[in-house]
Amino acid sequence: METRPDNPPNGRAAIGDGAKKLGKKMEKVGHTAEQVWDRTRDSVSDLGTALDVKGRVERHPYGTVAAAVGIGYVLGGGLFTPLTASIVRLGVRIGMRLAVLPLLKQEMAELMETIEDEDGKSKGQGSKTTAKRTRGEEP
Amino acid sequence: MEMTEKIEETAREISARVKPQLEEAKRRMESLNTSAVAYIKENPGKCLVGAVAIGFLIGKIASRRG
Repeated sequence: METRPDNPPNGRAAIGDGAKKLGKKMEKVGHTAEQVWDRTRDSVSDLGTALDVKGRVERHPYGTVAAAVGIGYVLGGGLFTPLTASIVRLGVRIGMRLAVLPLLKQEMAELMETIEDEDGKSKGQGSKTTAKRTRGEEP
Repeated sequence: MEMTEKIEETAREISARVKPQLEEAKRRMESLNTSAVAYIKENPGKCLVGAVAIGFLIGKIASRRG
């Protein structure tokens, strides 16, 4: 019977080669996974540095949390819903009130001043007239 | 005159009764605010992830209803 050097009769060497190849591949996969993990970690830390999450939380804790809720809301698909419409409507109403009220106040104050001035002038004229009448002069 | 005095007295009584409660509520709110801010500053990651999750849930519920 003829035996080939590269094909041993019992197959043990072939299994050994396969195991070696598999081991090398596993090593490669592990190395690649490690590289991917390192890169991801670096990217996340870069993103964290760029966004300055900690600084933002330190400066505006409630604002940052509210922004996170908003991001989650949008991710959850709540952007084009009646709830968003009603929230926007409410916001616009409050904003309009906040913007319009000071203007209205100012207008009212100016109007009151004008009325008071006119009232004062007319009273002054009225008192002059009464004085003339008491003295017996024609108005 | 008596009526005015009575009203003034009632107002004073109500104010005296409500004022301590209001002050207590104010103190509690301030302490709650301080502890909340401290917690957020100590655990920013947890708070932000939790906030995103809460927002996500609200968005999901809103999109289902809409």
